[in-house]
Amino acid sequence: MVHGWRIKLALNVWCGASALCAATPAEDLFRETIQPTLKQHCLGCHGEGELFGKLDLRSREGLVKGGSRGPAIVPGDASASLLYRALEHSGELKMPPAGPLPDEAVAAVRDWIDGGAAFAERPEKASLDWGAFKEEDLWAFRAVKKTEAPGGIDSLLRRKLAEAEINPAPRADRRTLIRRATIDLTGLPPTPEQVEAFGTDPASDKAAFGRVVDRLLDSPRYGERWGRHWLDVTRYADTAGFSNDYERPNAWRYRDYVIRSFNNDKPYDRFVLEQVAGDELFPDDPEAILATGFLRMGPWEHTGMSVTAVTRQQWLDDVTHATATAFLGLTLGCAKCHDHKFDPIPTKDYYRVQSAFATTAFARRPLAFLPAEDTSGFAEGKKRVEGLIAQLEQKRGRYAEISRRYLMEKFGVSRFEDVPEVNRKQDAGLTDEQMWARRIVNKHLSHHAESIKRYRPLAFSVTSGLVEDWNDVGPGGAGSYMKKPDYEQVEMHVLVGGSLESPGERVAPGVLSAVERYSGLQAPEFAETTAGRRATLAEWIVDPLNPLTARVMANRVWQYHFGRGLASNANNLGKMGAKPTHPALLDWLASRFVEEGWSVKALHRIIMASEAYQRSSDPPDGAAERDPGNSLLSYFTPRRVEAEVLRDSMLAVAGELSLATGGPGTNPQISRDAAEQPRFTQGGLRPPYYEEGRREDRNRRSVYSFQQRSLIDPMIEVLNGASVDLSCERRDSTTVPTQAFALFNGELSYDLALAFANRLRNEAERVVDRAFELAYGRSPSEEERALAERHIEEMTAYHRDHPPAPRRQRKALVRALPSQLSGETFQFTEDLPPWEYEENLHASQVEPETRALADLALVLFNSNEFAYVY
Amino acid sequence: MSTEADLSRTRREFLYRSGLGLGSVALSALLAEAGPLSARNPHHKAKAKSCIFLLMEGGPSHIDTFDPKPKLTELHMTEFAKERTKFAAAMNTGKRHYVKSPFKFRHAGELGIEINARFPHFAGAVDDICFYRGLQAESVNHPTALYHLNTGNRFGGDPGIGSWVSYGLGTENENLPAFVVLPDVAYPQGGAANWSNGFLPAHYQGTALRAQGAPVLDMNPPSGVTPEHQRKNLDLLGSLNAIHRQRHPDHDELEARIESYELAFRMQAEMPSVVDLANEPASTLELYGVGDPNPEVDAIAKRCLLARRMVEAGVRFVQVIVGGWDSHDYIESAHGTRITAIDKPMAGLLTDLRRTGLLEETLVVWAGEFGRSPDNGLRGGDKAWGRDHNAKAMPLWLAGGDAPRGRIVGATDEVGDSAVEVVHPIKDFHVTLLHLLGLDDAKLTYFAQGREKQLSQTGGELIRELVA
Repeated sequence: MVHGWRIKLALNVWCGASALCAATPAEDLFRETIQPTLKQHCLGCHGEGELFGKLDLRSREGLVKGGSRGPAIVPGDASASLLYRALEHSGELKMPPAGPLPDEAVAAVRDWIDGGAAFAERPEKASLDWGAFKEEDLWAFRAVKKTEAPGGIDSLLRRKLAEAEINPAPRADRRTLIRRATIDLTGLPPTPEQVEAFGTDPASDKAAFGRVVDRLLDSPRYGERWGRHWLDVTRYADTAGFSNDYERPNAWRYRDYVIRSFNNDKPYDRFVLEQVAGDELFPDDPEAILATGFLRMGPWEHTGMSVTAVTRQQWLDDVTHATATAFLGLTLGCAKCHDHKFDPIPTKDYYRVQSAFATTAFARRPLAFLPAEDTSGFAEGKKRVEGLIAQLEQKRGRYAEISRRYLMEKFGVSRFEDVPEVNRKQDAGLTDEQMWARRIVNKHLSHHAESIKRYRPLAFSVTSGLVEDWNDVGPGGAGSYMKKPDYEQVEMHVLVGGSLESPGERVAPGVLSAVERYSGLQAPEFAETTAGRRATLAEWIVDPLNPLTARVMANRVWQYHFGRGLASNANNLGKMGAKPTHPALLDWLASRFVEEGWSVKALHRIIMASEAYQRSSDPPDGAAERDPGNSLLSYFTPRRVEAEVLRDSMLAVAGELSLATGGPGTNPQISRDAAEQPRFTQGGLRPPYYEEGRREDRNRRSVYSFQQRSLIDPMIEVLNGASVDLSCERRDSTTVPTQAFALFNGELSYDLALAFANRLRNEAERVVDRAFELAYGRSPSEEERALAERHIEEMTAYHRDHPPAPRRQRKALVRALPSQLSGETFQFTEDLPPWEYEENLHASQVEPETRALADLALVLFNSNEFAYVY
Repeated sequence: MSTEADLSRTRREFLYRSGLGLGSVALSALLAEAGPLSARNPHHKAKAKSCIFLLMEGGPSHIDTFDPKPKLTELHMTEFAKERTKFAAAMNTGKRHYVKSPFKFRHAGELGIEINARFPHFAGAVDDICFYRGLQAESVNHPTALYHLNTGNRFGGDPGIGSWVSYGLGTENENLPAFVVLPDVAYPQGGAANWSNGFLPAHYQGTALRAQGAPVLDMNPPSGVTPEHQRKNLDLLGSLNAIHRQRHPDHDELEARIESYELAFRMQAEMPSVVDLANEPASTLELYGVGDPNPEVDAIAKRCLLARRMVEAGVRFVQVIVGGWDSHDYIESAHGTRITAIDKPMAGLLTDLRRTGLLEETLVVWAGEFGRSPDNGLRGGDKAWGRDHNAKAMPLWLAGGDAPRGRIVGATDEVGDSAVEVVHPIKDFHVTLLHLLGLDDAKLTYFAQGREKQLSQTGGELIRELVA
């Protein structure tokens, strides 16, 4: 027996040279015998409880390094190993002190050391050289340091400012401040009335601004704004991407869940638990079921051209990466193929974390609508989709009729029932063109068949282990293509080089060993059962001692207020991410966050009450030279508003913004050329983009726009909207000329400028003043007023001489496309949708004066002041 | 050179870490001396300065175009016996039969390279061509394979080849986009993500010039808005922005945004003259097939001619997308019409580039996302024979720049099921393509998502046989 071990162990030594290795007898020995022995008899004093003799037996590295008496083991040579000799009770040192272990146990240890002392289930066995990491790169893995700072944020910023000899900028004026705060918290500009009320509030600056912040945090607009930030991180979309880009008809409930969670100030730890393991931890809380939509937010598709093992792995990789990115601020994806090159994350840890998801199956669960979910428009919405279906069914019927007639004639029968069943082919008698058109009709129908499920009480979620009735691998019969993965007894292996074809060492579910090693938070025990894996992972993520979670979120919140995080890569607190400029401040915020019960709103109040947040955006003396990037926050860094803020602000200022909340995504007005662009899917075309018929449905906040992966609103996209494929840690603000095309030439800009002008003419005497107040929250200067008035005058004259072109008519789209059957071009007509289209106000309906005023409005929408927060 | 590259890398890392993505400062501090699109030196000397990539979407068959398989005629309708791997897609399972090519092949050019006889025009150009038969894709799923070929990442989200090339080389004409895409009327599967700038700054995004309507989205204001009208508004915008700029003298970004409006209108002015084919001599139009009675030929001809005009005007990378190659059924008619549609335009492009000398400095690539199978499942009896997808063999050719002339590189097995000689994965092709444009994939990196990213994803090998 002992001899047998030796042989197996010898094999393992050979194998151990490579980090990833399929043979595991040595690990089995370790797991079954050595580890329990150490745990039961040794670790109490040398590892978990104490570190007597500075000896840590929890890792192989600890054993090799040893304690004050020198190395505990010499791998490959038991007789030279202090551990073995101590256990043998043969020398001066006798361990354990209570008395010798059974002979078999001691012999097992001898063989284990002789065989190379392999550790199983411990990342230490991997090739990772833990000694190679520099302390400065490990800051995020170290426990959060509690700093006493009675002076709050400002006291923690002061020292560096003093060192740089920069006197921070004074407080911004109230007008600037309310615009900053309102856009920050709600994504909309303040109304002139709100500006006025704050400006004239006799209370102290502190008290008055505190009230403004409270009011904004109570507004439902707050959740829409901050929910959008979270949706950036999680890559929210209403469709699945890839070829068919089918709708995920119930994904909107996740979007609304996120918005509600922010509005209700759901404690962040709970928010995390729900998204990672809501179904396991709170099965009776419908919100927690909706939350698990997070796990499926990435693009994913399975078709007859996909390989089940590949698409399954694709999801596993996606969810592993997404979870680590969103909550832990780590780029775990790097460890998929090899040990992480920068951070202490061995490949094995990657697959251990992945194992937590290995038993997870996609589920479309029945889940009644909640009182918070407004279903009042559902009947009507459903009717619209049914209208589209009816239109197409009618078309399909025409092709069926052609086939029937053809077949009846061919078989010389007068009733279709007399045509032999085997000959009743759908394509019979159709020309190639008709055949291809029928395919397109079918494809459209398959899309609508999904879309109509929006109105059904279903949740886009998961289960642990497959529930057949809820199985949800995709529409269009994708299920029949998919070999069912085994969700019950999943064996996870390290995939060598990330390849499915090279399964390596088997792994059990686990967490990142670096967290335990550097922060002291003990890794949880995972049961290798079907259910409960994600729950264990989630609980570890939100453990108050987890060094990453609170820091990551506190840093994100800071970033959305200041434009940049204290550590400026919100998705990457590892080595390659930026080091925090003010580590003590980040830790202070993180601990305050946890102390405040993980309340995000409390964090806003703390941050916004600081002098740093309220500073003017004019750089003080010396700042440009001594702190060019303003990392010391001596002034408020101006920033461009995000695409959605720009669109929503234009709508709001024009008086066109609809504040309806929640529900299935709606199709806003987008560039008509983009809307009419035909898009191929597998074996057909995607249905056209149909704008909502009612203006108020088109003019909702951008967060409620239907997010189609294959057709992002080009205006949002060009203004650096968030990627729907990769987690967006922070919006880019690159300036490119195509942005000017969208904003200055786009039909939406023209339409909203006209609506704005019309509003001004109806509401105000002094239209120029009112225009500036609405757009900028301030009155124009004399110079500006003069410029604007002269422009209106000139343009009025111009418009008198240039009557507007008539409105572009909406008409059915005739598409010319190559047939995939014959390669010949054929025509296919996409009908107009079967609903009324409520037109926007058109230039031909207004006076030249209004058109001239619309020119001013268009200019204001495009101006830098409108696009920046100061 | 390497020191410079290291420096810029360090700068980028610094910027990344300080939270200033390259983009946000590119126009101000970082590249004050040279904008993000300014022409830059290549990593090494290469003849080709620009690239026209003819992307055949849908999976063109190598067996029915440039890689004849007479053995299939022998095996026609016999059962395909080869073992399938355990990672097969549903499509490629079940009972399958060999399918012969319905096309005749001919020896073309002085070198007598064998191609489908339905390429009468292209036959005259084969002596300029390097056919490559060794490439293998990794997926038989259209969007994944397209993303792979176009961006290096099967799952999308990464920058397109053209974005990488413009990032590496900048552009010769800043009034035009550096990377232009000329799609069919319908966008391909996977959509605009095939030419996305991914994590690269927005300057490098592919601009799709639409086959119908205004070439660039919103390049023109709504109908009825005159240039005069627009200019007046633009002037007011300039005045208001100038007043605002005075109030925020330290805010550099404002300048870039003001300039972007002016640049947009220069582009608006220049683009129509580039896309307007009216000034081309009739002989050139005829050469490409513009005005051909076959509307397919006409449409592709216009895009091929536009590609030459773009390259001539200084655009760095032009991708022409020609779809419709997904011929599961009726390969004779389905592929036949595609071949006819592309034959004259692509031959015209090659001839035109050669006679204007542009071929010397323009790399032309022709490829689909994968090839097609020598076999098919039983579909509608023998008259419906087509071919399914095949990632293990695919057609591809190169011409121009440092690409070898009149050569066949690599080989597939006797039925065309798999590449067997000079076999390389897509990433090696990417390395090679960049190499032919003077770029080194290992140096053309961008710091994103915590690491240096590159087109090949993790590095690849140069296919030496494809470099003259």
